Amino acid sequence: MNILQQVPRNALVWIIICQFALVAPHAGRLPVWVLAIYVVAVAWRLQVHRGRWSFPGRWVKVALTILSFIGVYASYGSLIGLEPTVALLLTAFALKLIELSQRKDAYVLLFLGYFICITEFLFSQDLLITLYSLVNVTLITTALVALHQPGEHQFNRGTLRLASTMLLQAMPLMLVLFFLFPRFAPLWTVPIKSHTAKTGMSDFMKPGDVASVSQSADVAFRVKFEGEIPPRSTLYWRGLVFSRLEQGIWSALGYYDVPVKEQRPGKVATVGEPMSYSIIMEPTQQNWLYGLHYAHSTTPGVMHTSDYRLFSPVPLEVEFMYTANTWTDVGVDTVLSDWRRMTETKLPPVDNPETRQIALDLRATTSSDEDYVALVLDTFNREGFVYTLRPGISSGPHPIDEFMFQSRRGFCEHYASAFVFMMRAAGVPARVVAGYQGGEINPVNKTVIVHQFDAHAWAEVWIAKKGWVQVDPTAAVSPLRIEDGLEAAMEYEGSFLDATPLSPLRYRSIPLLNLMRLRYDAMTYRWQSWVVGFDSKQQLGLLHSFFGEISGRVFATVLLGSWAMVLIPVAISLLRKRDTRPGSPLDKHYRVFCERVARLGLIRKPGETPAQFALRAMAAQPRFSDQLRRITRMYNDLAYADATSSDGSSAEVLRKFIRAVASFKPDKRMAMVEQTTSLQK
Amino acid sequence: MENVDSSTDQYGGGIRAQFRMRFRQWVNRRIPPAREVTLDQRRIFIFPSRVGFFFGCCLLVMLIAAINFQNNLSYGLTFLLATLFIVATLHTYANLSGLTIRALRAEPAFAGQQTEFQLMVERSKQRHHYALYLKWPTSSETLVSLVADDSVNIQLHMAVDKRGWFNPGRLLLESTYPLGLLRCWTWIDLDLRAMVYPRPVASPDLPGLATDTPDGAAAMVVGNDDFYGFRNYRKGDSLRQVHWKGLAKGQGVQTKQYTAYADRSVWLDWDLFPGTGTEQRLSHLCYWVLEFDRRREEYGLRLPGVVIEPAVGEKHRDRVLKELALYSKEGWGR
Repeated sequence: MNILQQVPRNALVWIIICQFALVAPHAGRLPVWVLAIYVVAVAWRLQVHRGRWSFPGRWVKVALTILSFIGVYASYGSLIGLEPTVALLLTAFALKLIELSQRKDAYVLLFLGYFICITEFLFSQDLLITLYSLVNVTLITTALVALHQPGEHQFNRGTLRLASTMLLQAMPLMLVLFFLFPRFAPLWTVPIKSHTAKTGMSDFMKPGDVASVSQSADVAFRVKFEGEIPPRSTLYWRGLVFSRLEQGIWSALGYYDVPVKEQRPGKVATVGEPMSYSIIMEPTQQNWLYGLHYAHSTTPGVMHTSDYRLFSPVPLEVEFMYTANTWTDVGVDTVLSDWRRMTETKLPPVDNPETRQIALDLRATTSSDEDYVALVLDTFNREGFVYTLRPGISSGPHPIDEFMFQSRRGFCEHYASAFVFMMRAAGVPARVVAGYQGGEINPVNKTVIVHQFDAHAWAEVWIAKKGWVQVDPTAAVSPLRIEDGLEAAMEYEGSFLDATPLSPLRYRSIPLLNLMRLRYDAMTYRWQSWVVGFDSKQQLGLLHSFFGEISGRVFATVLLGSWAMVLIPVAISLLRKRDTRPGSPLDKHYRVFCERVARLGLIRKPGETPAQFALRAMAAQPRFSDQLRRITRMYNDLAYADATSSDGSSAEVLRKFIRAVASFKPDKRMAMVEQTTSLQK
Repeated sequence: MENVDSSTDQYGGGIRAQFRMRFRQWVNRRIPPAREVTLDQRRIFIFPSRVGFFFGCCLLVMLIAAINFQNNLSYGLTFLLATLFIVATLHTYANLSGLTIRALRAEPAFAGQQTEFQLMVERSKQRHHYALYLKWPTSSETLVSLVADDSVNIQLHMAVDKRGWFNPGRLLLESTYPLGLLRCWTWIDLDLRAMVYPRPVASPDLPGLATDTPDGAAAMVVGNDDFYGFRNYRKGDSLRQVHWKGLAKGQGVQTKQYTAYADRSVWLDWDLFPGTGTEQRLSHLCYWVLEFDRRREEYGLRLPGVVIEPAVGEKHRDRVLKELALYSKEGWGR
């Protein structure tokens, strides 16, 4: 084999380290058999290295390749889509190790490794994942360096150091490119994630759904207000509107359920200055975006629906940042179309007869829809309803009757559902709204963190002249939920996040832990808004603020200038003269001493002992004999005698020795002596 | 790999050959022949390696992925690797810069055998150098690193097939350290040449052997040489003839003296092989030189225009072989 193609043992070890480091963050998403392949591949390759087994033959390789395709198909039901592709890549990454015999195989493997780092970002752009990926890139680069260090069989820290140094040197230029490189629109559509679980709300709601979302302590989104943060009790983040009730399940209207002329949102007369805020959504794999009532967004890629929701035409696979404006004092749909009125008052024909009856009775006692709403809320408040995460399961054909007249225990979706049912039963247009309520204010960076457990359902009622008005029946039952959040409301039954005992949110009472959590969250927000959310619009703004008008010439100048600024120092530090001759500090300083003596014309001969050298130097330059004797004695003590001498411990002597060498400057002294003698003359 | 072999190339016209010649002239101007060369920016070339181009393709795929997925961190990683490529140029260059290559010696060889070139690579006292690959166009190859040592001696072998001075062409010194993405190399002419003796070709007998005695037949006696005594060792004596046992006894370094009969001194003459071509004659002569040297009999050489008086010993043999090697190759210089 060509000597250039040999793979040093060190490189093989680094490659195996890389493999495990790279597969780790993917492990949770992969079928177990892929992970098993990693173990088998490493064991096989190590046995090959030890000479016990041999490299696989051609047919074994073909069989393994076919088997892995079949395996991925069996596990995912398809070979198309992001997850199966990544699983195939990772399988190839593992199998390549078995046939790694030459350097060119190692290149393929390591470049594949870089590519796998990128695929990790398609699943998460989290700060920790990014830092971990940087570690991975360093490991791959280290393996690449080790590949070019023939004959290194011991672990060599220098390999890792060189790789890290090079990456650090590349970092500033990377930043320049990152901020300057134009952001293009996608060139073609790419496989989407088909096998990742959707999180958060879904587009239908049955009793118990919101309660189950509330079990999660994950972050749903973070909000940054431009001005003051409004009171928490007013933060109703609308995401979904449920207008249809069928068999006890509330569902949203699909796009084609709405007649064509109703599909665009009505014109909303806005008054005054809006409240501006930006939201960074965590990936949900769903289309909903959240906003306060009534929200309007100018961010590209955000659409508005006929029920005044914000909506993303593509599912959110990665973090998504958008801005929105909200006008609170505004009439939405002040004139209701016939179709809309019909839809928003429609109920299934025959169920829950008792609730229908009481709705009609209550409506009859009031003079207006508004009074009726107030009366129903008052009923919830007075009649001993309980707000609970553990409402029990209703199985009868009339679940709302059961809830209203028997159990009277429910979570927000029970109240919202019963309330809207009563409105519709009395002919008042109403609908269920799902989203999040409240949020945690992070004092570190003044953002509002909305968690999954802030999930909430409430109602909207249409009142003549006012349009759609927000009504929260839960607030009538448990004002604490709206004022202080779910944790306070559930304190009496201890059911808050009881499924996730390790969530840091459960330890909010410990100030230090809580502060650390909030600081990390603030870092995440900054990370998401600066790096993850960086787009062509922000890019233009940034360039404009730095360089004014952007022209090709400015662009080229900045690029070249920054490259020169980074590369020239690197080149200088690489190519300047530096003494890396091996030796202890003692030897190095003695060498300095010899170089200084050499300035007097006395060069130490090969094989001359320090003592002989000193004697010769003292004879030739008696002026320096004290120093020469002292330094040489110290050197001999340190190099040949046991640790201590009369001057103290060896470390101390070494320090003294170094100082003595540093102050031994024969040429300068000589110049001074000559100067003084000439002055005396 | 571009080949700068100057001894075997054919100048067959054509653009390619023309280009090669021009290129060689340019290299000659840029890196003139010298026994000792220190590498600096005038002498070092750098260009992405094949692996580097492959890496570039990978980067392009990554960039397309970043664009299509609109993924900023993928952009970031792609740019990090791209700038790593750029930073690697400096590191790759630094791995060659400051090295000194010194020609040591070239071993003479017989045509059809291998000659050995010895050289030394020495670092300036700056940094480690890894994976230096050295090769002449037709020689064996070697891979050395300068980590613990300040210099390293290298032997490279190559087959030679024509007698005369053998010029190995330019030495290729290349390295792709540290990442393999860039190839940094130099072609240096170390002004080294190896003496190539004719290929020894046996001839069954030596018809009409010329000797000093009138009776030519007497010299053709083949037999063991007779040992006749010791003398003090002189520089140039064969180590095989040193009297090792005596040395061990403390008698000083002595050389065993053998003698062939004085009247057996042989003239190896150009005219001994009538009717054969020049190279054939030289090959036969070479064979007999070795044969008589083995027998330690005195022999002289007579070529057109060259006469070497009969003698014996390594120095004499080398002198004779040199004449054979360079016969009618005056253009090469001696």
